[in-house]
Amino acid sequence: MKYYLDWPAPDAGHPPPQDQEIQPWGETRVVGKPIPRVDAYERVSGTALYTLDMTLPDMLHAAIVRCPHAHARVVSVDTSRAAAMPGVRAVITASTPGAAIPWYGPTSSLFDERCRYAGEEVAAVAAETWHQAVEAARAVDVEYEVLPFVQDDEVALTPEAPKVHDSGNVLNQLTNERGDVETGFAEADVVLEQTYHTPCELHTPMETYVSIARWDGNRVTVWDSNQGVFGIQAGLARALQLPLTSVRVICRYMGGGFGSKLGLSKYTVIAALLARMTARPVKAALTREESFLCVGNRPANTIWLKAGVKQDGTITALQGRFLGSAGAYPAGATSTFLVQALYRCANVKVEDNRVYTNAGPGRPFRAPGDPCCAWALEQMVDDLAEQIGMDPVDFRQQNIATVLQTNNTPYTSIGLSDCLSDGASAFGWDEARARSRGDGHIRRGVGMAAGMWRYPGDPRATVFVKLFSDGSVNLNMGASDLGTGTKTTMAMVVSEELGVALDRIQIEHADTGTTQPAPSSGGSQTLLVMAPAIRAAAIEVKDQILELASAELERPVEDLMLRDGKVMAVNEPDGGTEFSGLRGLRGRQVLVGVGRRHPHPEGKIALPFAAQFAEVEVNTLTGEVRVLRLVAAHDSGRMLNQLTYENQVFGGMTMGIGLGLTEERILDSRQTGKVVNANWHDYKIPTAKDVPVDNTCVPIDPNDTECNTTGAKGLGEPAHIPTAAAIANAVYHATGARVTDAPITRGRMLAALAAERGE
Amino acid sequence: MSNNPDKPGSKSGISRRSFIGTLGAGTLGAAMVGPGTATAQEAQGATDGHLVVALNVNGRQLRVPVEARHTLLEVLRDKAELTGTKEGCGRGECGACTVLVDEVPRYACMTLAVEAEGGEITTVEGVMQGEELGQVQEAFVQEDAFQCGYCTPGQVMAVEGLLMQNPNPSIAEIQEGMSGNLCRCGAYDHIFKAVRRAAELKGG
Amino acid sequence: MLPNFTYERPGSVDEAVEQSGADGAVLHAGGTDLLGCLRDGVFSAEKVVSLSGLDELRGIEATRGGGLRIGALTTLTDVATDATIAERYSALAQAAASAASPQLRNQGTIGGNICQRPRCWYYRGDFHCLRKGGNTCYAIAGENHFHCIFGGSGCYIVHPSDTAPALQALGASVRIASRSGTRTVSMEEFFVLPADDIRNENILKPGELVTEIVLPPVADGTRSVYRKVRDRGAWDFALAGLAAVVRMDGDRVDSASLALAGVAPKPWRAADAEAALTGGNLDAATIARAVDASVEGAQPLEHNGYKVQLVRGLMEETLRALEG
Repeated sequence: MKYYLDWPAPDAGHPPPQDQEIQPWGETRVVGKPIPRVDAYERVSGTALYTLDMTLPDMLHAAIVRCPHAHARVVSVDTSRAAAMPGVRAVITASTPGAAIPWYGPTSSLFDERCRYAGEEVAAVAAETWHQAVEAARAVDVEYEVLPFVQDDEVALTPEAPKVHDSGNVLNQLTNERGDVETGFAEADVVLEQTYHTPCELHTPMETYVSIARWDGNRVTVWDSNQGVFGIQAGLARALQLPLTSVRVICRYMGGGFGSKLGLSKYTVIAALLARMTARPVKAALTREESFLCVGNRPANTIWLKAGVKQDGTITALQGRFLGSAGAYPAGATSTFLVQALYRCANVKVEDNRVYTNAGPGRPFRAPGDPCCAWALEQMVDDLAEQIGMDPVDFRQQNIATVLQTNNTPYTSIGLSDCLSDGASAFGWDEARARSRGDGHIRRGVGMAAGMWRYPGDPRATVFVKLFSDGSVNLNMGASDLGTGTKTTMAMVVSEELGVALDRIQIEHADTGTTQPAPSSGGSQTLLVMAPAIRAAAIEVKDQILELASAELERPVEDLMLRDGKVMAVNEPDGGTEFSGLRGLRGRQVLVGVGRRHPHPEGKIALPFAAQFAEVEVNTLTGEVRVLRLVAAHDSGRMLNQLTYENQVFGGMTMGIGLGLTEERILDSRQTGKVVNANWHDYKIPTAKDVPVDNTCVPIDPNDTECNTTGAKGLGEPAHIPTAAAIANAVYHATGARVTDAPITRGRMLAALAAERGE
Repeated sequence: MSNNPDKPGSKSGISRRSFIGTLGAGTLGAAMVGPGTATAQEAQGATDGHLVVALNVNGRQLRVPVEARHTLLEVLRDKAELTGTKEGCGRGECGACTVLVDEVPRYACMTLAVEAEGGEITTVEGVMQGEELGQVQEAFVQEDAFQCGYCTPGQVMAVEGLLMQNPNPSIAEIQEGMSGNLCRCGAYDHIFKAVRRAAELKGG
Repeated sequence: MLPNFTYERPGSVDEAVEQSGADGAVLHAGGTDLLGCLRDGVFSAEKVVSLSGLDELRGIEATRGGGLRIGALTTLTDVATDATIAERYSALAQAAASAASPQLRNQGTIGGNICQRPRCWYYRGDFHCLRKGGNTCYAIAGENHFHCIFGGSGCYIVHPSDTAPALQALGASVRIASRSGTRTVSMEEFFVLPADDIRNENILKPGELVTEIVLPPVADGTRSVYRKVRDRGAWDFALAGLAAVVRMDGDRVDSASLALAGVAPKPWRAADAEAALTGGNLDAATIARAVDASVEGAQPLEHNGYKVQLVRGLMEETLRALEG
């Protein structure tokens, strides 16, 4: 089984080779500048319409009945009371015609008669108002046979554990090995081993999960908050057994996803089915509480690592055993990638154990598995460095791998060394490391961690760029803008090539009915896949207009350039002819450029790298940890927009503070199996008081001309990977206490301090 | 459900104004209208199980039939169709629904609509001047103080409230003042910068 | 979604007392805690009696005896920013400022803050627990990270208020209106332990409401602080908090009043630590004795043992700071 976690996926798409020769950018006029977003006005004014804001005429509201037990068999569902309630227009259960839809591969169905986690869908109601729908959902009488459940990952592996699926509790067990770790450990001067734990985290985007479905004959249109309309379209077409062209999915503005809105969700299908049954539009919006149960999570990981190092700094062996559960259904749960790839090591063995438990299913969550792996690996690497008396930055510098060791593929570029050195220099690492940690109960320390991201992107994308006779431009792309600034950076690419001001570029995006297939906005691939396609389309338009202008102005194409909405002679930047003044353009009405993303380079792989640095203060009496400042040095290739790049980096680090210090789903595992903190009060995401005010972003551009025609690599995920580990290393530097279990709550910090004191 | 049987409350614009008398000078664009004229008296005249509340929203009087249990957020979004105010949690745990009531930031999801009678309610739509952005909004644009933008209207209103009380906040005061608004994208650093810039734009 | 209820807005305290005495009636002050409880089905209400029409319950004013009277409907923001409170009752100002979030402090009231219901996630969640009339306290064998280390029996909630321990340490009393008139009780008398009442955190009966809080005058040489520790910078309730009111006579501790937050079903008076301090100097040995005494009798559950260490740490840090 292949999941998002198993990237790089061998079945990534293969676009046709390009015949267009596109040169790397030299100096740019628009690209790379700090330019506010093209849709900033809509977002700050409140006029941007998110799916949750939308109401269609005659629209009904859905509410979903969920199983309250961690494991139960649905014995009967009686909808008679609910159906008779005011405003109720439809009730759907497993026995409703058309509802027998397979789910989670072949393992389950839309309304499975066996519920494997508390929160699983049992039935749904559509009513005139949301209040009526919720009240009716509560009136659906379900009889359950409660079954024994298992939630502990280790226990799930034992033969006596309750079976989540009839086939057992093992999702998969994978081993990756190169060299021989025993030989490596024998060569080592120091061998360390340690077990680390990372929590189950929840995505909790600000906009919850919502779909609105409306049928028009046998075609359905779905307005949906998601990360990729084409993926949702494909899933929905499959579920409803419709051709792709009968399913239109639209997502104009969306309020965050972080991986959880990549795939089709049950509520979307439920909205479509209820809308068909009632012949009316139906809105299915999950409550905040529901969003903690059934729309994904980052699974908890238990990671045992053993590592050997020579006194000269050579890492001789790395061994890991990873255990994680993506809950009740198939999904990724762990990632061993960084252990295999980040540092040069001849002898590596990783075992990956993914098990089923009776808990909400996992979904990709910002660099699936890697921040957890980094939490373990980067603490271990610091301990190795300490044991041999090396500085953590120097130790990492010495061990940078120059090829992707999992398959010996060379990188198109590798800026990790610069990330380490420039980051350390921006941070003032040597001075900070040497400073006193304090002798009172408040201790200060600094730490760092490195990282890389493993997915080169699905290179298939097709976009249209249209230049109209008045000189305005339409950019037609299928990609979503989750808030990363996709629309803005893509418009900047068009502006760079066509010399058209950003406010003259209109963007049509994320609508399967009007735009072309594009990869989902996940895996840090949007920019590096879309920007080259858009550049190709813009250049195709540019070539056409230059040809027109050349004939009309009687000058050779090489003498002309496009700037400020005009065609002008290269050596006469003050003159020029407005696009709208070109007779040829008026005659043609519109010039269309079709751009396709080129394939990835043969025999090489383009991946981003990162090093992050943290300074913390620890109150050794109370266990309080405060992050004082952060520095992030990223090789994500060329920076297309300074503002959105920096914002993305700081955002990734903020989420890293959550992993490191505050976030943790807690299950009532020994009693009911329910999530006890299914709300934003008890599940703690960082606030404005939990982040430092001193944040620095150090972009590293290795001038990669091979990765793609823009030189950009991914950023969203690498920005999040090393942060928590850097904080943990800083905490250790400050106190001498290792906190191996994330998050570092006050309780865990106090326990580690007590252990350090030998109590 | 029942109609509103209670006597008119003594709650009035006047007492609220005296309460905010210490908050310092601030302007609020379109929200600068006279004291609210709505009182609970207008809640009489309810029909079919609904109360009718009179709300002063962005300087406009709205008379809306509501149930007692309807929150100000539900009324703003579903009845007044002012969807700039966002719902993030409905339980006072995120700040996406922050509005000003008598110049003070509050969570609309934790305020019953009937309790908002008599107050001057300002939403993100109310800090616009026609199509022109307010200064806080402008600062958010310039500093790129958001990513997905869903929490942004609430953040903007929290800043408006903060700067009314404290026109020139320190960085620690900014952190404290903005601590009731979650941003899952983690744009806090840029939000802090936007608050500083907004303070400058407002002449703080 | 909130359940259905009717709404009343009485124009006088007498009316409020009358209306809230009815079956199924609940009082609405700021509403920030009440609406959360109703939304989550922690308890139900047929009728919400709003106090928002009672302007006489708002405001802060000096009493004739040199103390301070705080109307129950005074917002936490007003308590936190009042100049007199900040100067003379700083523990209270700090406690109010540390509660919840700015918006909730703008709305939440001091009366509501001391009357708020527990934050135990079993109590607030979909669990029919002992405090809600069920048979089990799920915290005993469950996820008890945030539960009490003192005063639990049957039920192991902590009292969530920050202001209540500060008020208690400052010697405040609560004025309660009821059909039979008004009475004044000390903060210590106001709160009850599960052993005495498994369903309620205080002595209020239906038809009773807190109208004001009265603070006694402050003796010269008194210093007070409130220090709160939480996992996150806003919204969080105290993992543990300490309100300390110490009156010095030169180098000697003339009196000490210490109340802990977040560790017991009510504001927890650290009486042994008070005794250890009183009459001594704030030297290292005395502080060490007080620190030891502060956790005497603590009975941690499986996951909250860190609170013992945290209380010790808070006590040590706070007392050392008072010395300095």
